[in-house]
Amino acid sequence: MQKENGSRKRYAMVVDLRRCIGCHSCAVACKSENRVPLGVFRSWVKIIEKGKYPNITRHFLPTLCNQCDHPPCVINCPVQATWKREDGIVIIDEHRCIGCKYCLASCPYNARYINPLMPIVQKCYFCHHRVYAGLEPACVEACPARARTFGDLNDPEAEITKLISKHPFQMLKPEMGTFPKVYYIAADLDAMDPFAGRKEWT
Amino acid sequence: MDVNIIYNVEHEMPLGVPIATYFYLTGLSAGSFIISTLAYGFGMLKFKPLGKIGVVMATCLLIIAPMILLIDLEQPFRFWHLIMYLRITSPITWGTFLLSLYPMNCMVYGYFMFKGDLKRTKIFGLIGIPLALLVHGYTGFILALGKARVLWNTAIMPPIFLVSAMVSGLAMMILVVIIKDFIIQRGKEPNRDLIYALGKFLVASIVLDLILIGIDLSVLLTSTTEAYRAALMLLSGQFSFLFVGVELLLGAIVPLFLFLSPFTRRWVPAYALASVLVMVGIFAMRCIMVIGGLSIPLS
Repeated sequence: MQKENGSRKRYAMVVDLRRCIGCHSCAVACKSENRVPLGVFRSWVKIIEKGKYPNITRHFLPTLCNQCDHPPCVINCPVQATWKREDGIVIIDEHRCIGCKYCLASCPYNARYINPLMPIVQKCYFCHHRVYAGLEPACVEACPARARTFGDLNDPEAEITKLISKHPFQMLKPEMGTFPKVYYIAADLDAMDPFAGRKEWT
Repeated sequence: MDVNIIYNVEHEMPLGVPIATYFYLTGLSAGSFIISTLAYGFGMLKFKPLGKIGVVMATCLLIIAPMILLIDLEQPFRFWHLIMYLRITSPITWGTFLLSLYPMNCMVYGYFMFKGDLKRTKIFGLIGIPLALLVHGYTGFILALGKARVLWNTAIMPPIFLVSAMVSGLAMMILVVIIKDFIIQRGKEPNRDLIYALGKFLVASIVLDLILIGIDLSVLLTSTTEAYRAALMLLSGQFSFLFVGVELLLGAIVPLFLFLSPFTRRWVPAYALASVLVMVGIFAMRCIMVIGGLSIPLS
């Protein structure tokens, strides 16, 4: 929508886990900014603990909608209630959604939820209302350690482009072919593995 | 290494027993429609008594089944968005059209059958077969295209659903014939040949179903780690009782034994018991697929 100089925006987020302190500020900021009801989350920090005393560490994994380039939720939505904008944000029309929950079933990142107060599917959309006004998403602004960086991947001078091009990065479930737009620097493999730490599954 | 999850968020399971019931009912409907066309479409006169019952059952079931879908929607009054704003890549959109075309075709087919117009009955019966296959095949696609869930995302899901639809439809037809001939019309000479013929078809379908389940499991066991864990969940994990105990043992092995063993193969109560067990087993299979597939953790 916001076309400037004919070039397209391509919004993405980098989460630098060397900086993350696991304070959950992003989750709280997201909840208050987007009025997310109790019991559900658009953005949360998964915390795992690994090793044996005294060699033990905690690893964090801030999780949110990955704004995939090939989003299975968009392909599978039967009523075009969710789509990918030109700037790369996957957005939901809450007035069109019929709540068939097929997108919840096809999202590989567990990013979507049913709002318990208003039976509608919701998810993180990079605080599009703030981005539209020229601000950064609430979680990025609230992060005290500046672990989250938001920006336009098509802008070579943006901080996010520099981070992505200089550092080795990971993404969640690349094997799904979704091409996520949330990148992690120094993420722990056990934190990214949904099965690690679940005794009933291993 | 010792890994403990300190904090994580998991959202509520989106689909559940209603969707499994819906899959089950469409399967029954498709199965009974195909059996109904055996006589009127393909001219297998042995199955002629099933023609009318089959089409009535198929239509009734296919009118109930979409109601369950509507109730399961979070916003049921917006159902018309499915037609207004359809997206063609979604299998639910295919279902919207199939679920409207198929009952209509069933009604036309049944109308001509009850009128005695055999030529038109045959035409609409033959049109109905691909529709019946698609109506149930698309439910397999709904699961197969939900690519986040490793238990669903296999190419064999639509064929498994089709074959298990035939299994449950044949079992229901055997029960229908038994109830009709042995309970309602007690004085009449019962139609044993029909039951035995249906039994033969049912045995073949159960064997095919077991083969497909075996293929699915062996590929899951040798595929990615996630798939391996999903297979273990079915074989020894939290769904092992339902899968091994109810679906495989009660729903396939015991009925096969009842149909094939020399002591029970000509005994009608054994057929009734076996058919009930098969229907329970297929319902368990639908629940395992929907709920088991969704219970694999994602984050």
